[in-house]
Amino acid sequence: MRLADLFDFAWQVLRSSISRTLLILLAMGIGVAAVVVVTSLGEGARLYVANQFGSLGTNLIIVLPGRSETSGGMPGVLIGKTPRNLTLEDALALKRSHAIRRFAPLIIGAGDVRAGALSRETPVLGSTAELMDIRHMEMAQGSFLPPGDPRHSQPVCVIGAKVANELFGSRPALGEWVRIGDRRFRVIGILAAQGQSLGFNTDEIVIVPLAAAQALFNTESLFRILVEAKSREQIAAAKADVEEIVRLRHEGERDVTVITQDAVLATFDRILRALTLTVASIAAISLAVAGILIMNVMLIAVTQRRREIGLLKALGATGHQIQLAFFTEALLLALGGAVAGLAVGELGRSFAVQMYPAIPFQAPWWALAAAPATALLTAVLFTVAPARRAARLDPVQALSRR
Amino acid sequence: MRYADFVSFTFASLRAQRLRTVLTALGIAVGIAAVILLTSIGEGLHRFVIDEFTQFGTNIIAVNPGRIQTHGAPLGAVNTVRPLTIDDALALRRAAHVQAAVPVIQGNAEITHAGRSRRVTLYGVGAEFGAAFRMRVALGQFLPEDDPRTPRAFAVLGSKAAMELFGGDNPLGDRIRVGGERYRVVGVMQSKGQVLGFDLDDTVFIPVGRALEMFNRESLMEIDVTYEPTAPLAEVEEGIKRILSARHGSEDYTVTPQQKMLEVFGTVLDAITFAVAAIGGISLVVGGVGILTILTIAVAERTSEIGLLRAVGATRRGILLLFLGEAALLAVLGGTAGLLLGWSAALALHLVLPALPVHTPWSYALLAELVALAVGLAAGVLPARRAAHLDPLDALRSE
Repeated sequence: MRLADLFDFAWQVLRSSISRTLLILLAMGIGVAAVVVVTSLGEGARLYVANQFGSLGTNLIIVLPGRSETSGGMPGVLIGKTPRNLTLEDALALKRSHAIRRFAPLIIGAGDVRAGALSRETPVLGSTAELMDIRHMEMAQGSFLPPGDPRHSQPVCVIGAKVANELFGSRPALGEWVRIGDRRFRVIGILAAQGQSLGFNTDEIVIVPLAAAQALFNTESLFRILVEAKSREQIAAAKADVEEIVRLRHEGERDVTVITQDAVLATFDRILRALTLTVASIAAISLAVAGILIMNVMLIAVTQRRREIGLLKALGATGHQIQLAFFTEALLLALGGAVAGLAVGELGRSFAVQMYPAIPFQAPWWALAAAPATALLTAVLFTVAPARRAARLDPVQALSRR
Repeated sequence: MRYADFVSFTFASLRAQRLRTVLTALGIAVGIAAVILLTSIGEGLHRFVIDEFTQFGTNIIAVNPGRIQTHGAPLGAVNTVRPLTIDDALALRRAAHVQAAVPVIQGNAEITHAGRSRRVTLYGVGAEFGAAFRMRVALGQFLPEDDPRTPRAFAVLGSKAAMELFGGDNPLGDRIRVGGERYRVVGVMQSKGQVLGFDLDDTVFIPVGRALEMFNRESLMEIDVTYEPTAPLAEVEEGIKRILSARHGSEDYTVTPQQKMLEVFGTVLDAITFAVAAIGGISLVVGGVGILTILTIAVAERTSEIGLLRAVGATRRGILLLFLGEAALLAVLGGTAGLLLGWSAALALHLVLPALPVHTPWSYALLAELVALAVGLAAGVLPARRAAHLDPLDALRSE
């Protein structure tokens, strides 16, 4: 049998029982589409997290006080206090490193901000002028904190878009005085609305100079130091420098944790990839079910087409050729199902993009390759039994029986 | 058609094509098994998390300074302009139904003894901490009931910290340095292991008054209030708020009952379980398509049989019910097999990986069975209608 004959034969069979063919295509299509949609959701979430981390800053290194010997101790370090503070002087000493472009010391706390009779509790950040460049913040009005010696502070503050709206409504906020705790600050800038970023809403914060925050919260100790390395290659050098400088300043004791943005991102990446893979394989179970259906229908077909197969064998077709005919049919079905599934999956993806434009849903290439491949593989595997049964048919008996 | 005839007819037609029946039911079975297995894992994780939390008791209310929450943690615990003090904690003991009010501050410090040192998590706590969180002492005693504002320099070690610092020696009565200050060890805690990524054994407990001095701050991170288990939660919350608001002038603190936290965790985990079950349920839909395909073929094959039935007096309704019954039976057979398959897979998984908690929620199992039945019936409708609408004359002639 020539290849063209083979295809023609399979095509005739598929066309003659159109509803059966369509139903099998539907089953295969659902499986492939499920895998594509589910992986696009997972991949979208992964890219979203990666973007969010990217918007936190580039080549970022985060220094936090405290260190834990067990890996499980991270949560304690994240908000805990330490006997020896991470101080502003520690931060200023970081200037000695060549690998560091700029850094911003950070104090964070809860404060109640009042303007006139209105009061609102917001997160209060104490930092320096460099914070804006490191975190890629944008101003809607006015200017950011003025540069200068971070040990001294002017009574000025920068407020988030939502805070400005809540406290001042439609009135201009620039130049107005607000009270935070027992201190007064003049509003010199309003941040551009950015929205939620990894659970932290930058629209709802107030930024004051570092020295003011120290006085406000009555604390010397910094919550974090954000450090920006000069380039991607110098991140490792900058990290080593930070550890060494702080160790020397802290009498040889290693009592800070230095984490790089890349390390955190890589962890998230791994977790989300594993999740996507798991969910995709759960969705792929439906492909196995579709395979079972193909096997079932093929077995029925062998019984129904007994005479036809008998005739083919009587005319000299070998068992091998009969098997090949069945495999061709199964491959065509799987291919059609895969194409339909990919199309529906793509439709589902664009629907998801319409619903949540912020998240870049996108099926990863491995899923686009693996889903049709799995469909083809299951189709072939589940056709083995029916094809062998057909090949073993005895032509004489097949033709003689009605 | 009589009821008994109806049943025997359905069974007979399924038995006549055994392989076909088994394969069709297998499609449904795989779907159901996937759903059962996945929900079992989800439910197991749910119970695991709840157990981790409730081992400290359920009648706990946390009070944190500040009213804003970020990253799920109260920001006021880091720094705040409205501090919670030890006096606040003492005042809370007078609230209605309250058993204990434990001031807590947490941090990271180095402990040293005889040349060995280790960085551990430090908890500055009140004397009732051990009792309130159901943590037991292995050696010695927990921190004594001193005046919390001027406590003696006693420390209690977590089991891992004690092991690392003292090896097998008895640490009771020895002096250690915590963050550079000298403390006398009065007790060692029993091992608690890791709780949600928190190592509770690599710790040192010191009196809260001294921890505040060590960290040079005035605000506690948290006051943990335990109340009589039978007391109404709303009333206890009300009492706490009344006392604190009177002391502070306004509500500048957050009150979080542990039960609320458990509810939040519960809803999140339930949502995840449901989503995963739904993805597994796609296989069920494909299995339904399988039933639809096989029945369509069956109707075509049995056209003459249907014609005969109609000719001897079977109504359209009777034929419709016959095929629907066949579809439903296929689905239920598959569903039952899938239930057994999924359940045994879950048990096997639990045997292979004892660390993975598995629990089969019977409500989900029942739901999966019902869904299988519904899928079967829905898949049966089209072929059954086609069969019912066959003209008896044409059907008989087709042979």
